[in-house]
Amino acid sequence: MADEIIKEEEIIIRNYRTSDYQATLKILKELQSKYDIGFNESKWRETSGLRQFKPNLKRITLIAELKTTGQVVSMGMLEAVKNNLGQYIGYLNNWATEKEFIGKGVGKILADRAIQILKSWGCEAVRINMAYIGDKKLLDVFGKIGFVPIITVLEKKFETD
Amino acid sequence: MAELFDSSSVENPFEELAVVYVLYFDESQGHMPLLIYPVEKYKNDKAFMRPIKYHPIWFLSLDESDALDHIDLEFKGYTFFGKKFLTKSNRKKRRAGLKEETPETIVIIVSLPNNIELFGDELIRILTQEVRDKYEDKLFEIIDSEILKEEVIKSPKIKKRIEKGESIKKNLRDSIDKTTNTFFSDVIKNSDTTSIRMQKAIAYLAFKGIDVAHIDSKGYEGSFSNIQLFDPRKKGEVSFVDKKPFIILKINIIEDSQELEILVQNNSLHAIKGMIVRINHLKEYFEKEVMIESIDFWDAQEELVFISPIIPHIDQYILFIIDEVTNEKLLSKRIDLKLLKKT
Repeated sequence: MADEIIKEEEIIIRNYRTSDYQATLKILKELQSKYDIGFNESKWRETSGLRQFKPNLKRITLIAELKTTGQVVSMGMLEAVKNNLGQYIGYLNNWATEKEFIGKGVGKILADRAIQILKSWGCEAVRINMAYIGDKKLLDVFGKIGFVPIITVLEKKFETD
Repeated sequence: MAELFDSSSVENPFEELAVVYVLYFDESQGHMPLLIYPVEKYKNDKAFMRPIKYHPIWFLSLDESDALDHIDLEFKGYTFFGKKFLTKSNRKKRRAGLKEETPETIVIIVSLPNNIELFGDELIRILTQEVRDKYEDKLFEIIDSEILKEEVIKSPKIKKRIEKGESIKKNLRDSIDKTTNTFFSDVIKNSDTTSIRMQKAIAYLAFKGIDVAHIDSKGYEGSFSNIQLFDPRKKGEVSFVDKKPFIILKINIIEDSQELEILVQNNSLHAIKGMIVRINHLKEYFEKEVMIESIDFWDAQEELVFISPIIPHIDQYILFIIDEVTNEKLLSKRIDLKLLKKT
């Protein structure tokens, strides 16, 4: 399957289930080791990826599963947050793909589906948080579907006792 | 709660399984027990009666009660299923403005250990049906007799009314006894399922002495029951359709953010569209909305997480799942933060 582009009909995009816990944990750990996304294993629980509803926030974790084997190959979280101006802004966070499936188009299929969902939720825009020292290739991938860099987020981590 | 059920006096195995309360709303005294099955002796025990006194069934209107199969309260390992209805009355009321024919408000509560709470839906339905069918126009006479018992001087006429009420009450108790016993005997014979919840409930019934000797794990030819022991190979072929469309799997308090996290599953085998999830907080007898969410599509067996802020100094919350179109309440659950913190 090396270097082959995966077609949309070859994967299933669905909501996270609690049985996806181990697979998503593995992907998130890889993402953490590569980009230090601030992932804390103890805080990622079985229920963390389920559809969540709270005032002014909707959150969902999408899973891309290989139709033939049922393997979880990619994941991404999306949320719609109501800002102080009353607008809903969509965010795509923690998008990651299994190593051997990177570059095969799975992430794009997942992102397209996520954008559809955020539109249906009434979001006015979609933002993607990316690592500052991000992959140039990734910027190009998102650039092709209309994403342009607009803000830089600065972060200061607090020391924990 | 469990310690309050006096197991040493148990005469039949069903007594530890279900407690049935028939109650009425007294115009001068409030919520009053009319009959407690199997034993009446805890009628005046405040600890035993606490979940009955504060059951949400009392605080919901008849319309709301009618919209639901039952209204539940979970308390110390037991689930209390409640149903409210009106019945005929000819009793002289003790409050101005109420006529003799003003109907009586009757509440039936069935408590079951959480291990077998999945039977509650059917049991309260059957019991309510039985009481309504056979005693709808007689319950006021039991109420009358209970009130008259408090009279200091009992004239022959009063004594006669008390006797009449007692006789109806005895029949009512016998009917509840028969219905409950038949229910538990039947449920174990007729439930054909591979559901783990059902298997757990059956194991609990067996533990409590219900005969399950007829269950055969290899096949059931020649058995009078069609039940089988759990076969993991049949995963996904669950034939038992649980009557509750939604079940609450977990309730957590997130201490960091002072939020209430409620995990709810669509328990049906099909996707459900157009649901409203509402969380209200309760202060004294008043409800105030804390959050409301519209769920366009809820997949079969899908678990959703609802996170509600915790309002300072408010411990009582109630969760409703409502059909957007029919306005029918499909689930209601009272949540007590004090109880959650203890467990």
